Amino acid sequence: MLPRISRALADWISAGARGIGQIEIQHDGGGFVLCHFDDIARKDLEIFRSPNDAAELAKFDDEGNYRPLKTAPNLRRGWRLELPDLEALQEALDFFYPGRLAVLAAWEANRLTTAPLRQTLHRQSGMYRVAAKISDEQIDTVVGQFCRSRGGNPGCLRTILWSRDATGARPSQHLPLEKFIAPIDQTGRGETRIPLLCQEACNLLVAEAREVVAEARETTSRAE
Amino acid sequence: MSVSSESSALLIVGHGSTVNPDSSAPSLEQAAAIRAHDIFREVACCFWKEEPSLRDALFLFSDPEIREVYVVPNFISEGYFTQTVIPRELELDGRLTTRPDGQVWKYCEPVGNHPGVTELLLRRAREVAPQVPEAETSLVIVAHGTPLNDKSAIAAKREVEKIAALGRYASVQNAYMEESPLISDWPRLTNAPNVIVVPFFISDGLHSYEDIPVLLGIGAESGAASSPRAVFRRNPHRLHGRNLYYASAIGTEPKFAEIIIEQARAFDEAALDLRPIA
Ligand code: SF4
Repeated sequence: MLPRISRALADWISAGARGIGQIEIQHDGGGFVLCHFDDIARKDLEIFRSPNDAAELAKFDDEGNYRPLKTAPNLRRGWRLELPDLEALQEALDFFYPGRLAVLAAWEANRLTTAPLRQTLHRQSGMYRVAAKISDEQIDTVVGQFCRSRGGNPGCLRTILWSRDATGARPSQHLPLEKFIAPIDQTGRGETRIPLLCQEACNLLVAEAREVVAEARETTSRAE
Repeated sequence: MSVSSESSALLIVGHGSTVNPDSSAPSLEQAAAIRAHDIFREVACCFWKEEPSLRDALFLFSDPEIREVYVVPNFISEGYFTQTVIPRELELDGRLTTRPDGQVWKYCEPVGNHPGVTELLLRRAREVAPQVPEAETSLVIVAHGTPLNDKSAIAAKREVEKIAALGRYASVQNAYMEESPLISDWPRLTNAPNVIVVPFFISDGLHSYEDIPVLLGIGAESGAASSPRAVFRRNPHRLHGRNLYYASAIGTEPKFAEIIIEQARAFDEAALDLRPIA
């Protein structure tokens, strides 16, 4: 029997999923061909054949900048990755979108635990402890910019499954309702695509919350 | 229970970085090397500052066949991450944590605690300066020093003592980026005609690419256009009448993969020692 995570991937593929995040997945005999979804028509793509190549392809954007958040919508273009089977596909996707298939499989098995943002922030220690001081209004703005699927800064293609706090409130009113509903795909293509889920605020958002608190404090102390 | 290719998984925990693309490389490379050996049913990495996160790692080993997960911190020493961040984020109760489904998570010691690190430091020193007689060489192990609850300075000191006791090098000493003895004082700290400097870090990054080279006086030679790794290829540097050899971070040594496996095995051996005497 296939391991649970491979089975979840296989199910999505046989259900007709066109891809995951910004990646298009096409069947090729028993194998798979991957490319950036804006490159489908291109004939001049550089060809790669190992799932390990995905690690390098995912590392930098088109401008050569390092991508600290792999689910940000800035995957580089110009490549075509040919993979022999499902196992290789899973390996490659674990480099493109690390951990996402595992989290999706847990969600489908009803075993995924999510954490409200305030709980994540309160758990922090050291330099991040101060992030917990962020106000609800600041959360509304920061999450609205940071996690936005399109046109965000940096933006992120995950569907948010966490609430702001124990009340269950949505973290941001600036984001459309679909941003919080799984398994709706966040690329806006209206296709069946394997969803990228966010069960808990990432470290980058926590760092951003800390920045917001620190900046606000600086502004206040300057005004005094 | 000991490590089994049927029922054991390995989780390598690294720091990772939001700015340095090379930070996670050693953990990923070692994971790939260990995977190829079929010692564990599954091998995965997770990172504090990269994906998959430590929180994601809670969902990586969902198959019921996986009965135990060995968690090995790819850190150079005990410290804030191994004692506070990792247990908290992975929801570990202590060395041994049983999850609701009965899966057991075994929290192993960080790689830097393993006695084999000494041998790897010696190996790295030989590699970087293969023709140079050890008796005419000063070896300097450089660590960061000072940050809150960072025990890497203590670990680096322990390594220096062990290597010095072998009596092979003209001198062996510690130096730090932010506390004395400062690495920038190397011409005064060392006396042999050859000097080998090995950074006591898990991965290469700003510290080993730029900060330490600048402190050593070889930083200005790096052209902006060249790869950051070029700094390790220009040995020896002729400076202050000595030959200076500069190595890359010790954690990039491929043999660290073996140390990771041994730290997992050591967990069960230590647990045996702790059994109450009947
Ligand atoms: S918190 Fe989640 S949705 Fe927001 S940027 Fe991080 S990973 Fe993406």
